[in-house]
Amino acid sequence: MLSATDDADALRQLHEMGCTDGLPVVIPTPERVDRMVLASGLDADVVLGEVGPLGGVATVAKVATNTVMAGCDPDHMPYVLAAVQAVLQPAFDLSEVQSTTHSIAPLIIVNGALAPITGIASGFGALGPGHRANASIGRAVRLCLLNIGGAAPGVSDMALLGHPGKFSMCLAEAESESPFPPLSSCWGYAAGDDVVTALGTEGPHSVMFVNDADDPDSPERLLRIIAEVVVNAGSNNLYLRTGAVAVALNPEHARVLSGAGWTRETIQQRVFDLCHVPRGRIRLLNPAFTPRGDDADMVRTVPSPEHVVVFVAGAEGLYSAVFPSWSAGGHGNVVVHEPVITGQACEVPFLSGST
Amino acid sequence: MRGVAVVALVTEPFWQQGDLIALSGGMPDVPRIRLPHPVAGSSAEEMAALADQIVPRLLEVLRGESVADNPPALV
Repeated sequence: MLSATDDADALRQLHEMGCTDGLPVVIPTPERVDRMVLASGLDADVVLGEVGPLGGVATVAKVATNTVMAGCDPDHMPYVLAAVQAVLQPAFDLSEVQSTTHSIAPLIIVNGALAPITGIASGFGALGPGHRANASIGRAVRLCLLNIGGAAPGVSDMALLGHPGKFSMCLAEAESESPFPPLSSCWGYAAGDDVVTALGTEGPHSVMFVNDADDPDSPERLLRIIAEVVVNAGSNNLYLRTGAVAVALNPEHARVLSGAGWTRETIQQRVFDLCHVPRGRIRLLNPAFTPRGDDADMVRTVPSPEHVVVFVAGAEGLYSAVFPSWSAGGHGNVVVHEPVITGQACEVPFLSGST
Repeated sequence: MRGVAVVALVTEPFWQQGDLIALSGGMPDVPRIRLPHPVAGSSAEEMAALADQIVPRLLEVLRGESVADNPPALV
């Protein structure tokens, strides 16, 4: 337990101890942390797992402390818990994700009936800035990775440059705008279930596409552009070829595809097919990563259609996004998911106030 | 892995990370030899020269005839 003369002194100490992401934090007083623990509905000493690379033990109390620091409302706590539990799954390869020189960060996608009520944005600027729930839930996860996992830049988090998504990269799927079932249905959840999906990715790469309603090939062109961004010349997916990738279709683009008869499954299949490249392209750019064989042969860059994670987010307009991935780690940079346990919280005193 | 002799080769920018990973992995004393950076992208000639420089010492450390570059851990 730290002691400080006032909030400014406490903040100075937290910065000096390397316990922040560089931005000011809410001071995690015992009262604030206790209220966040109450919001979890769990005992403070419940262990969620060990956080790599340094193996710190993530208890509910420690997660609550970082959740307070991130500026979360107690309503956000179940989402933070689910996201932390998701990235602690062995398949996420958190120690490797935290340690690599690549700029991978957890992209957190929220589905479920409570997301809009909780204020988790899915439309304009969903990845920021300007949405408290999105910014603070993702930031809480990052602070857990920093403070419990020990991922200090240049010491144990070796990302050469990093990117702003490493502060926070959390959004909801725009379910009410989507012509497709919720992303979480791909993992077997029912519509309306509250679920967090996490995938380690780069930041969003813009996909600019203008539909031509008179051209029946127009939807196919959108899929071609998406595939070109996945296998862009700088992408690990082109060279390592093991990872999942995420595709955020804006609602307008999603309707262009749906209106032409495309489903999520056929979109995944087509993008997967289009992400095959001639072996010679790899040899031309980064020959060390060229698999054996003839340069004219086509090489797949995404392991399967299911590794193309398609969801709907953002506002209507010309721009969708692709999130290329690291495409490495023992499990190959795959998707993980976790149900959000809501309705278990104890009554939280002063819930309508600030944290 | 218990019983298997090992020496970790760590390039300069990753030296501190190597210390932390060795510690968190429960092997703070695992021998480590410092390499110049970068190694990736070296020419075959450069790689051979580096091997000529490193391998004799690496074998000495494996045999226990020489100490590694990391000091014995205090914990």
